[in-house]
Amino acid sequence: MIAFENLEVRYASAREPALKGLTLSLEPGIVGLLGPNGAGKSTLLKALLGLLTPSRGSGTVLGVALGAPEAAKLRARIGYMPEYDALIEDASAYEQVAFWGELSGLAPESARDRAHEVLYFVGLDEARYRPVSGYSTGMRQRVKLAQALVHSPELIFLDEPTNGLDPDGRRRMLDLVLRVHAELGTGVILASHLLGDVERVADQLVILDLGQIKAAGSMAGLRKILARRVELRFLDPLDAAQEAALTELGVVLEARNGLYDLELKEADPAGAFRWAEGRGATLVQVTPRHDRLDEVLLRALHPVVQGS
Amino acid sequence: MPIYAPTLPPAPDLHQGHPPALVLMRFDLARLWRQKIGRFFGFAFLMILLWKVARIYVDHLLQTNPAFKPMQDFAKTILTQGAAFQADLLNPASYLLWFLVALVGGGLVARDTLYRVRPLMYAHPVAPKDYLLAKLGFASLLPFAILLPFALLPWLMSLVLAGLHGPVWVTAPLRLLPAMAISSVLMGSLAVGASSMASTPRAGIGWVLGLVLGTGALSAMLRGLTGIQAFDALNPVELAEAWPQLFVGVDRPLVAWLPAILGTAFHTGLWTFVAARRTRPSEAVI
Repeated sequence: MIAFENLEVRYASAREPALKGLTLSLEPGIVGLLGPNGAGKSTLLKALLGLLTPSRGSGTVLGVALGAPEAAKLRARIGYMPEYDALIEDASAYEQVAFWGELSGLAPESARDRAHEVLYFVGLDEARYRPVSGYSTGMRQRVKLAQALVHSPELIFLDEPTNGLDPDGRRRMLDLVLRVHAELGTGVILASHLLGDVERVADQLVILDLGQIKAAGSMAGLRKILARRVELRFLDPLDAAQEAALTELGVVLEARNGLYDLELKEADPAGAFRWAEGRGATLVQVTPRHDRLDEVLLRALHPVVQGS
Repeated sequence: MPIYAPTLPPAPDLHQGHPPALVLMRFDLARLWRQKIGRFFGFAFLMILLWKVARIYVDHLLQTNPAFKPMQDFAKTILTQGAAFQADLLNPASYLLWFLVALVGGGLVARDTLYRVRPLMYAHPVAPKDYLLAKLGFASLLPFAILLPFALLPWLMSLVLAGLHGPVWVTAPLRLLPAMAISSVLMGSLAVGASSMASTPRAGIGWVLGLVLGTGALSAMLRGLTGIQAFDALNPVELAEAWPQLFVGVDRPLVAWLPAILGTAFHTGLWTFVAARRTRPSEAVI
């Protein structure tokens, strides 16, 4: 779906490149793009849309090389839902979705018919004829999704699609994202800072920070890693030699008040008890930590020193 | 609770639609329609057009009706039928036309900036040149469309009433249409350039009026200081009025040929360049 190698994007006015030599290959599916503000997510999306020319490296999106002359035509095969309100306030949802359809290459009559279909798909029924200035946040997000889908793209970029939504609205939006992929076969790149959203819908994950990829892989692989995450509680504090020997079990992520967060080398926690017995320590509790996706993100962004 | 469609049927074939610039211009026309400013300007321009057409008819009556024979000498002083009369056909209250261009053109780019839709346009198969062409085309076609009846209706009426010897020259449209085109492009480029510097439609109107009046004041100052009449070519209002005069061959046009060409090229080039710079994809934050 998307592949790039040593991709570097540099703004004319900036000293440092905004994207620093990214190399990645993404399979068709739903990709979660995570990262803090300024990580380079938007720059990456701009580059993938062909709006920014890479200063170095190469890449392809849907088989079309970045910066190639046919990149403009490529945008007819991509849908984009921006993070902010890119809505024409004095126009109705129907008018503007038809407009975006025409801009993607649909004939005027087809764009009008298609606008009705896609607005119905995202759950905007009679409200489609009202100016969007009177819409709720959830309705506005659905109009933005509709304009991204109006031309049946092969790939859509969703930038914070659940921004400003209540829990129920979030759930409905994520259900729509899943439907878009499952029913229409559309590839999805979802940029979000809400890890729960990404965890719910994505099957691949890319963590970006300061223009660099900090971690990337499938969610299934990530879950396997998460299954090896445990918290160990010992009866007595470990001495320095015991703490140093903890690395035999795996990577020490955090140590605090006799509690140690580890990523075990093996998924079997019984090994931890055997290790404690051999080292003269009393292990009293092993707690699985596989629900802590946010820690994976934090660890990717701020690596901890082993044994700290 | 929203009602969702069971599924979404496949989209029709792409690449069947109109060019992006045309789609953008049609959408701007729909926006203009929603603004409902046509009533006032439509009435104002219609009154001016009626006055100009009435003058042709009065001239016809004076020439053909014996009852008006004593008034013929007096009529000749107000109906010169010379080059100035032809050029004046395209002067439908110049400031009113500029005000309309400011009102509409000032929001053309600024409204997209305010609603932040330009980055989304560039995320579609729309090139920056399509966007610029659409905005310049719309802003230029608007004054052209308003001026068109002023060039053609009096000419047609003169032709119908008095044949080849009417007050409006038979060849007048051949001279007025190119002048209209140049003046309209001048107005359009200035409006789009000014609008691209604004972040709201109201600010865009202010920018257009500010540039028109500001450059006018600058040209008056420079002319006053140096005594060189060519500085009038910096004033876009005078330039727009001068082009019909130049094409019909008025004895003493507001601006001579060379300054008019240079002044028009300066304004059109500068404001198109500004608009192009301000609407680049790299200016679009997504």
